[in-house]
Amino acid sequence: MSETFKLSPFEIEEFTLANGLRVVLNPDNEIPVVSLAVYYNVGSRNERDDRTGFAHLFEHMMFQGSANVPKAGHFQYIMKAGGTMNGTTSSERTNYFETLPASQLPLALWLESDRMRSLAVTQENLDNQREAVKEEKRLRYDNQPYGQIFDLINEMIYKNFANSHSTIGSMEHLDAASVEDVQDFFRVYYAPNNAVLSLSGAFDIDEAKRLIEFYFGDISSQPLPSELDVSEPDEVALTFREWEDPLAPFPAFLIGWKIPKRRSHEFNALYLAGKILYDGDSSRLYQKLVKGDESVIQLFGFTDERRGPSSIFIGAIPKPEEDLSAIRETIMNEISDLATHGPTPSEMEKIENQLVNDAVRMRQSSMSRAQQLAEYALYDGDPKLINTDLDELLAISAEQIRMAVAHFLNTENRSLLSVVPAGQG
Amino acid sequence: MDQELRNSPPAPLAPVAFDISKPFETALDNGLRVVIVESKRLPIVSFRLSFHSGDIDDPQGNIGLTSAMTNLMTEGTDNYTSLQLAEKVERLGASLSANSSYDFTTVAASSLSFYASSMLDMMAEITLRPTFPENEVDLYRRNTVEHLKFQRSQPPFLAAEQAARAIYGDHPYARVSPTPADIEKITTAALKKFRQQRLIPNNAIFMVVGDVDRDEILGQIKERFGDWETGSKPEPVNVELPSANGSRCIVVDRSGSAQSNIVIANRATARLTADYFPILVMNQVLGAGASSRVFMNLREEKGYTYGAYTRLDLKRLAGDFEATAEVRNDVTGESLKEFFYELERIRTDLVGDEELADAKNFLTGVFPIRAETQEGLTNLLLNQKLYGLDEDYLQAYRSNVNAVTAEQVLDAAKKYVRPDEASIIIVGDAEAVVPAAAEYAPSVEIYDTEGSMRTDN
Repeated sequence: MSETFKLSPFEIEEFTLANGLRVVLNPDNEIPVVSLAVYYNVGSRNERDDRTGFAHLFEHMMFQGSANVPKAGHFQYIMKAGGTMNGTTSSERTNYFETLPASQLPLALWLESDRMRSLAVTQENLDNQREAVKEEKRLRYDNQPYGQIFDLINEMIYKNFANSHSTIGSMEHLDAASVEDVQDFFRVYYAPNNAVLSLSGAFDIDEAKRLIEFYFGDISSQPLPSELDVSEPDEVALTFREWEDPLAPFPAFLIGWKIPKRRSHEFNALYLAGKILYDGDSSRLYQKLVKGDESVIQLFGFTDERRGPSSIFIGAIPKPEEDLSAIRETIMNEISDLATHGPTPSEMEKIENQLVNDAVRMRQSSMSRAQQLAEYALYDGDPKLINTDLDELLAISAEQIRMAVAHFLNTENRSLLSVVPAGQG
Repeated sequence: MDQELRNSPPAPLAPVAFDISKPFETALDNGLRVVIVESKRLPIVSFRLSFHSGDIDDPQGNIGLTSAMTNLMTEGTDNYTSLQLAEKVERLGASLSANSSYDFTTVAASSLSFYASSMLDMMAEITLRPTFPENEVDLYRRNTVEHLKFQRSQPPFLAAEQAARAIYGDHPYARVSPTPADIEKITTAALKKFRQQRLIPNNAIFMVVGDVDRDEILGQIKERFGDWETGSKPEPVNVELPSANGSRCIVVDRSGSAQSNIVIANRATARLTADYFPILVMNQVLGAGASSRVFMNLREEKGYTYGAYTRLDLKRLAGDFEATAEVRNDVTGESLKEFFYELERIRTDLVGDEELADAKNFLTGVFPIRAETQEGLTNLLLNQKLYGLDEDYLQAYRSNVNAVTAEQVLDAAKKYVRPDEASIIIVGDAEAVVPAAAEYAPSVEIYDTEGSMRTDN
């Protein structure tokens, strides 16, 4: 790795409108496109216990029209201007974003401001989107082999309802959602002072400021919702569960651990430990299980980062005749080894190069930049973290990784979900 | 006054020009075409070494050999074991892989630009000196057989398998994957011989896009690939495509399914067609995106599905049109009805001016977005070269889109959207969907998830 290599800092300007809307601007004229991201500080963690899935259903309603935009007009305005758009919901936030030719910046701001100001909700549109969301649930979860395992293990890892319940929700709760629920949710959570707007790409800063003030400046602020308690004890809610999956062709298992919040030293160290354990063909578990023992068809792992207690997962689909407990023992042995001896110098070099490579590639896309900026602004109150996040990760030492693995990847805060095929063959 | 101005969509700002400059192109003495685009924007580089042969060029009796070869090229070479290779590449934070499609085979690498020459070394290693070790081939065979079983639990695979068979008959395009019996036949000896025959410089393109110096990188490519021996290109596939055989209805019985996966498919045309731009615009109107007709109808009006789309998959020798949606079981029949309504409508009514303009604006507007990342730009350029599109294809793309007329859209729909010849494929619970399906075809053929026709009905 070149010692002299240094990424140039992003040009970032941030300000807050009188109504509390936080704005982040990142001009970059390399390609004549512009990306807008609006992040609302509401996710499934804010849901009532009789309205699971509501934050996501609400996200769908944001495409169903507002005072000056007809139903589905949002899609159509963006697409006929040559843009792409979408929205997503997680436990932490709901985001809406679009990328357009640079000349269409006013359109993007108009569309986002119209729905922030004046979402129009009808019973008919709610019923229609309820059906679309149910089909999304069937498509992604209910009709997929292993499709429900991540929702199930979250219920095992977390004790606090805010953290444990699924983002897609239950069919019963989706059925129960009313137009009044949608209106209340909009008023409480979709206020300008509960959101961040970020813009990245080819635009003139002064023009962008003027347009943002024009479109968003007089949207009324609202009293902020009360602080949410997402705290968790260290131990998981349930350490073992067997799940009969009617669609799974093979047995499988998923292990999850409860770990500290995103951007803590411990979380960062465990994120890097994950790279060592399961990322890529040279990772330890790939070499042990897919190669070596040749016992596993598919191995995967990832971290789920949240503002509160977070999690890390390792899962495997073993070959049908294999002993699942032996595979789990191999995984735990490899974790013990990492907890005892720490990463090797060559593993640390790999992590360093991968982090730099990822950071450089992220910079290519105006949408990636806009989203990252919005996330730092919303979660940490500081979009400029985008200029130091790489250094933050590179500063994690081998010893910190070893200690985090030793402390957190043990059995007390571990949940094991065993998947048993239960189909008719 | 502000309020009034905000009642309707604002006018755009002045347009900003966007151009893709034409790449530098040359050829080595052994026939290897080299295409280079210098881009100093960020310190990264993308490489592609692509061959004009793919899965359809698998030898008779050795189906699956091309994909086995690409999967195993990274599993051991003269100078590296599988593990050493993975460690070397990942230690650079880079990626290196080989893969095949129906028509092409590609070795791909990307890295920080200061590792460019190391990545060229590794590309040469896996392309010119793979050893296909016995133990790795054995592991590949066993894992692939399990993977094939796994695929059969997934509705999109089952639908694609039946659709390809219905459209392409005995042509190699009908094979969406090899069979376990094909996989058992793959050996080290066969792979070595095949690699030597197929990976030849005079049937290949080497593309570099990124932060490189043109002459320097060309010199490095010559050093590593200049002595590579030429060979003879594979015989062109010479299998008759089936003639249109009327509408069929195929149900794949996946009991307990929570949804029906619907595919309505007919044969269309190959990629190199004079109708390409009318087809592109027609499909944008009909079903390519979230503002297209079938999505607006089946999802936004009816709520039958999370997404309904159409696509045209135009390959080198032939292509197909497909309309797809995943719907709840009890609206399978209604969904077919709405699909057929839209497929007929695009064939009979001229598309209106506004809808036509919207579709064109989308296609021309997203063009720079697709070229925003280096990988995106590389893929645009590589496709142009692999299909042998015009020299100014990327430069003229937007004006070609804009030139399409409503009459051309209608004509393209009549030629390539053929509900009268289309096959209907439904993956779902047979008991729940057969009655609805039966209304749309003279008979319903029922298959199991293993791909065999059920004989009990």
